[in-house]
Amino acid sequence: MPLGIKPGRRARASRRRLSIVRTAALAIFAIGLSAMAGSVAYFLPAAKLAWDATGQVISVPSPTPSPSSTAVSSPTPPPLYQPGAFTVLLLGSDDDSKFSPDHVLTQSMILVRVLPATKQVIMLSIPRDLYVPFWSGGSGKIDGAYSYGQAGGAIATVQQDFGVHIDDYIWIGLLGLIHLIDAIGGVDVVTSNPVIDDYYPQDLFTTDPYEYQRVAVLAGPQHLDGIHAMQYVRSRHNDLQSDIGRSKRQQQVLLAIRQKAKSVSSADVTAIAGALGGEIKTSMGIDRVAQLIPLASTFDSPNNITQIVMLPPLWHGGGPGGSLTPNWSEILPFVHQYFP
Amino acid sequence: MISRFFLALGLCVLMLVSSFTMFVYLGGRQSKVAAPAQKPTVASPKPHAYILPGTLYLTQSGALYSLSSGRFHQLTPEAGWTQPSLYPDNAFLLAVQKNELYSDVYIVTRFGQVVRQITNNTASSRDPDTGSRHWSFYPRLAPDMLTMFMSYDSPKFGYDVPFSVWGVPISGAPGGRLWTNANDYTGGDMQPIPLRGGGIMYTKYSYGPDGNLVGQLWLTTRPTPSGNEGRPLTSTIDDCMSPSFSPDGRQVAMVCTYGRQIARLVIASWDGSNFGPLIGVITDQLVAQPVWAPDGSGIAYLAPGSGDAPFQLWFLPKDAYNPPPPPPTPVPTPTPGGPYHGTPPSPTPAPPVLAPVVKPIQITTNAGFDATSPLAWAG
Repeated sequence: MPLGIKPGRRARASRRRLSIVRTAALAIFAIGLSAMAGSVAYFLPAAKLAWDATGQVISVPSPTPSPSSTAVSSPTPPPLYQPGAFTVLLLGSDDDSKFSPDHVLTQSMILVRVLPATKQVIMLSIPRDLYVPFWSGGSGKIDGAYSYGQAGGAIATVQQDFGVHIDDYIWIGLLGLIHLIDAIGGVDVVTSNPVIDDYYPQDLFTTDPYEYQRVAVLAGPQHLDGIHAMQYVRSRHNDLQSDIGRSKRQQQVLLAIRQKAKSVSSADVTAIAGALGGEIKTSMGIDRVAQLIPLASTFDSPNNITQIVMLPPLWHGGGPGGSLTPNWSEILPFVHQYFP
Repeated sequence: MISRFFLALGLCVLMLVSSFTMFVYLGGRQSKVAAPAQKPTVASPKPHAYILPGTLYLTQSGALYSLSSGRFHQLTPEAGWTQPSLYPDNAFLLAVQKNELYSDVYIVTRFGQVVRQITNNTASSRDPDTGSRHWSFYPRLAPDMLTMFMSYDSPKFGYDVPFSVWGVPISGAPGGRLWTNANDYTGGDMQPIPLRGGGIMYTKYSYGPDGNLVGQLWLTTRPTPSGNEGRPLTSTIDDCMSPSFSPDGRQVAMVCTYGRQIARLVIASWDGSNFGPLIGVITDQLVAQPVWAPDGSGIAYLAPGSGDAPFQLWFLPKDAYNPPPPPPTPVPTPTPGGPYHGTPPSPTPAPPVLAPVVKPIQITTNAGFDATSPLAWAG
């Protein structure tokens, strides 16, 4: 053979090479695959948070009948029931080093009813000092219900005492709220009055959680970062309405977060997830969260947002340990106007 | 035809590049909501930018800035400086320096140099009681240039820390006088404005009829005599704050929220003792700290910028709230030739004169000013 080439070698080499068309198809497939890999890498922190924080399994025990709630006549059918409507219990906790993680107090408890069909939101703040029967037996301030079964315990207690059905919960710690607000670039709030506190707890970012600091959040429209928004919603010493007053402020900041969240894009989810760490938990599945995010931006009219705090005669002071004594015969019909 | 080795190598490089590109692309798609505000001095003035007259003083991130001829200048370092106000003769500024535990008032030159400290609100470092310290906010010098008014958290009673308005000698001599009697557990009395004829206008916080805390503009003409410190000028329903007088003293701009998460720019006439009707001028922005231009050409204020940017500087030209008068109706000229006895011609209705809609002008785009710090504007 000429040049010493053995027969069949060229043919085998030719078989090892690919045609242009097959090469191009392979390249396109590789680009698609690697782009997906890049996306997965980008959203990995968010996916991890979603995996860790959402879909928390809660066991809500069957309610034990309590003397106070059974003494009241059964509620009338709720007028605001709509298909697709659901109720979420928002829980905000002191989760500083004064408490063990499983025995925090829920300083903020807000029932939120979402009515997607009419684009309405109803927020009802439950006073943390309300003296109620716990689902597990015994009685105490409602902010302690979380200590007896965590979120499940808080939900069971609220369901039992208020006769409402709760579909899901969202729990957030102090640091979680600060980080969330900072991750969305702060919030614009019209603070209703100067919030001045000479004995505000200095229990975050400190070695001694029993120290105090001074706080002065001035009045009027302003941009609040996470720390100052926390001071605004948490301070209660210089408010005649104490916990009730700060419940109103908490609702203002919640609405401001919702407003600001409209400017957040899906690409921000990773940064927000990274900022939140383990400071948020919810029983909602990822599918419901994904359904809620676009829904939140459609709730535009302030007239469709009802903010409620519980005031006398729904309760009166003088309960054990400085607690508030509930007036169930007033509370139950009042609550059932809004929450089934 | 490509050999398999080079094909595999090429694909590996391609995959690396495309995955990295996708990662970077997604990162680039992030909104700018969490991006820190720019220093106002960073942005260079645009050739056709609106130039405000005089010099405007404002605050960002604990630093005082001035704006003159369209250019910002940083006057102080970022060290807790806020709430500048001008001497009546515009010679100096009063400003507050705030830290975590207390705040003090200083006299500062218009270029940012500290001339003198007026208040001393700290306590011994060995005193562990946080309540031993004080806050001073919203300093204003009276027209007589002798008395400085400010909001000061004294007297206070344990957890009840209301601000009251105090008048203190600017010379630093003792003799401060309590001018108002703040409501307990409300935050108290804020932002005093000394009046030309004596007395002060200020914002008093109190519980409204529905139990919510609201602001009200009040007037008092003398230091508090046995707790009777004046009278309200606005209702609790209006929830108004941050008064600012026009250069001629006949109008007052203020912010009213009507107890909601809104903040409207409202203007009212002022006869020296009462307001005329409150007129909403800007109703679709979150308005803070309005201040009149010294030449009366408009009102500057802070409000979030477009795209939900933090508080920016805006200017509302005068024509927006004082529209120019309509052109005079032509006077009929007498027809020569004596009186006309026939049927008078039916008058043709004049076309309606539509006042041009004057919109506010956004002066800055990414500055993020402190909306709790009043603006000061020198001519």
